[in-house]
Amino acid sequence: MSSKISPLAEFTKGIWKDNPVMASLLGLCPVLAVTNAAMNGLAMGLATTFVLVTSSLIISALRNFIPHQVRIAGYIVIIATFVTVADRFLAAFMPDISASLGPYIPLIVVNCLILGRQEAFSSKNGIGRSLLDSLGMGIGFTLVLITLGVIREILGSGSIFGAAIMGDWFTPWMVMILPPGAFLTLGILIALANWFNDPSSSLTSPRSKDKGAAS
Amino acid sequence: MSYFLLFFSAAIVNNFVLSYFLGICPFVGVSKKVSSAVSMGMAVTFVMLITAVVTWLIYHLILVPFDLVILQYVSFILVIASLVQLVEMFIRKVSKPLYDTLGIFLPLITTNCAILGLALFSVLRDYAFLESVVFGLGAGAGFTLALVIMAGIREELELAPVPKYFQGAGITMIVAGGLALAFMGFAGMI
Amino acid sequence: MSKLNLSTRMILVLTLITVLSGGILSGWDSVTKPKIAFHRLEALKAAIGDVLPAHDNYETLETDAGTLYVATTAGSDEPVGIAFTAVGSGFQGELRIMVGLTPDLTQLTGIKVLEQIETPGLGTKIVVDPSNKQNPFWWPEQFKGAHVSPELVVIKNVKPTKKNEIQGITGATISSVAVTDILNAQIIQVKKAWTAKGGPA
Repeated sequence: MSSKISPLAEFTKGIWKDNPVMASLLGLCPVLAVTNAAMNGLAMGLATTFVLVTSSLIISALRNFIPHQVRIAGYIVIIATFVTVADRFLAAFMPDISASLGPYIPLIVVNCLILGRQEAFSSKNGIGRSLLDSLGMGIGFTLVLITLGVIREILGSGSIFGAAIMGDWFTPWMVMILPPGAFLTLGILIALANWFNDPSSSLTSPRSKDKGAAS
Repeated sequence: MSYFLLFFSAAIVNNFVLSYFLGICPFVGVSKKVSSAVSMGMAVTFVMLITAVVTWLIYHLILVPFDLVILQYVSFILVIASLVQLVEMFIRKVSKPLYDTLGIFLPLITTNCAILGLALFSVLRDYAFLESVVFGLGAGAGFTLALVIMAGIREELELAPVPKYFQGAGITMIVAGGLALAFMGFAGMI
Repeated sequence: MSKLNLSTRMILVLTLITVLSGGILSGWDSVTKPKIAFHRLEALKAAIGDVLPAHDNYETLETDAGTLYVATTAGSDEPVGIAFTAVGSGFQGELRIMVGLTPDLTQLTGIKVLEQIETPGLGTKIVVDPSNKQNPFWWPEQFKGAHVSPELVVIKNVKPTKKNEIQGITGATISSVAVTDILNAQIIQVKKAWTAKGGPA
């Protein structure tokens, strides 16, 4: 089990090495669906991180009480509860963001990333480590969402976080904020990450383990 | 909107996978062979149909009358998870060949966002009972279509000289982008 | 706990989790519900304010054609305008449009598209057109003062000359026509319902 690695590594592994999106292709629906603008990506990332961290805390605290046979049922109730909390929070205090993310907030319930972390980590580790793990994974997830959101917003709308940065000469690439742009951008990002991680490429990466693509 | 348009819209124009990004995980994971893509598509369509019926009844006969809409997500996901279990047990009892083709895909369906997405969209768009059933069928057909087309392309890709760093997930995403672009051509048909 | 047999434990734990979840959520519901209702009302008021001339208050009127919002000014019972939400198919999905009409239902006072999933950059010009720097809202603003009879008509490539003509959006004719079709169909319904309720025909 992972109790051998240092707490810092527990936190940072989710940000690059085991990044939930780039390395394990988890939680792709929101990654593709809401990243047509940087702000949406940020809000979605934070909401997912909130649900991931809170449910990891509860589940690691309860890990010895929940019988193995009903654990999945228990987990999804806990996750769905926190998703409802997040969804209502956004609807009550940030109605604009809530409207632009629409049904993708409730869909956090079935984000494989969250159930996956509970099953693989929080159900076997203490509260402290689960907090570090889920926080790292959440931040890693959020960073990917923001990266995609920024790229797609700059190319597709000529702006970043809503502020126009491209001059009048720039014709927005409409396709980038449409569904095909999401797939293309993510495909290219994954290829870039593979290249960056490949020890035989000109960029020498500190790690030698081959991550490849986990499809 | 007529039932035909509703079906057509859910299956083609606003395809769940290619324009709403629902069910991407199985789309990437199970789309390596056409035969398994067909089975997965059938299993998903079947579960979608039942989900559409059951979640509609729960929402309109229990949650709304008793003012419990806040429990929507919790109850939907619990119902979907138990439904999938029930369907699995039922198929195992009734037909061995069917279980062999669909069985291994069923557990994956619980966390398939297309199923919960279907239930949420039905509520959001205020569909009547029959409308949400047709919507479920259309969404299932669209999911199957996208999955099968993708699997067909990926079988060919096995033999194609894909650039090293694009192999696997990278090229799958690029191909999906091309497919999404093609499906956009259907826009305006409703 | 360990003394209980497994199935009792399973039921106990799951029940406990579900009850706790229900408790937390009902508490949270009572905190957020008023706020959400408030935002909905504000959004509705803002949309009505956008499509109708200045008014102090509005009444909701349930009719066969859906809910009508009848706006009045203080100290007068005469309505200054009538608004309603029109719904129909756009290019890619449903359109929801707030529509404002004069009290005699002959002219539009404004429209505002509330929900749409049209093609970004083309169909979305029915809401706002960032490429037109002088007036990004040129398209919806054409409806202000447009005559609804015999019906609204979209014309292409030329400036409108008649009161019931609306200039189409280049590259998004379907979206433009979808809006006028929805308006034409539902204004007829509203006229019938309004006459039935005793309003001026």
